[in-house]
Amino acid sequence: MLLFRSEEHVDSWCRREGLPRGGTMSLEQGWRLADAWYRRRMEPDWQRYSPEEAQAIFTEIGLTGAFWQLRA
Amino acid sequence: MSDDQVRREVYRAFLETGGAPTARDVAARLALEEQTVLAAFRRLHEARAIVLHPGSTDIWMANPFSAVPTTFQVTATGRKWWGNCIWDSLGVISMVGGSGEVSTACPDCAEPMELAVNDYQLAPAGGLIHFAVAARNWWDDIGYT
Repeated sequence: MLLFRSEEHVDSWCRREGLPRGGTMSLEQGWRLADAWYRRRMEPDWQRYSPEEAQAIFTEIGLTGAFWQLRA
Repeated sequence: MSDDQVRREVYRAFLETGGAPTARDVAARLALEEQTVLAAFRRLHEARAIVLHPGSTDIWMANPFSAVPTTFQVTATGRKWWGNCIWDSLGVISMVGGSGEVSTACPDCAEPMELAVNDYQLAPAGGLIHFAVAARNWWDDIGYT
């Protein structure tokens, strides 16, 4: 997951790398995802989110569609 | 000893030193045998709670932290860490109290980019985040992801 200056820079990089364009999110969505994912990581008995819990977080911050589905 | 004690000791070491502890370090801190810690490392790796270097018992990642330098440097509370990606770099800031900066560069043009978070609020900045790998395939090759 990389940080780009703009959509044009994403397109240019994907072309150069020979990669299909993947998924994008805003910086605010990225921060909300990171905060939800990691804030409690040091707590005792922390558990990884289940796929269902993780998918609910994605949905809550607006990451919907096939690219963001954790299960095929 | 539980695997979670080992896991949290790994994170404590990352938080305090900026890098990964060895199994010997963790064993000394928790008064355990090194072999006991190595077995816990392997189980934590299988559970995706940490990532070991391929073919090794050395820690590569305890997300959001990277044991090796990356293109994402995080500065917070007067300390520096390496993040695995932009998501993880912001995650480091969340873990250490919600204020800090990420320094990286646009992969397309190499222009330096900085993000700042203050008291769990992202400061306005330009740019966007791109994921090359679809969510269902993230763990197929976590180093690439």
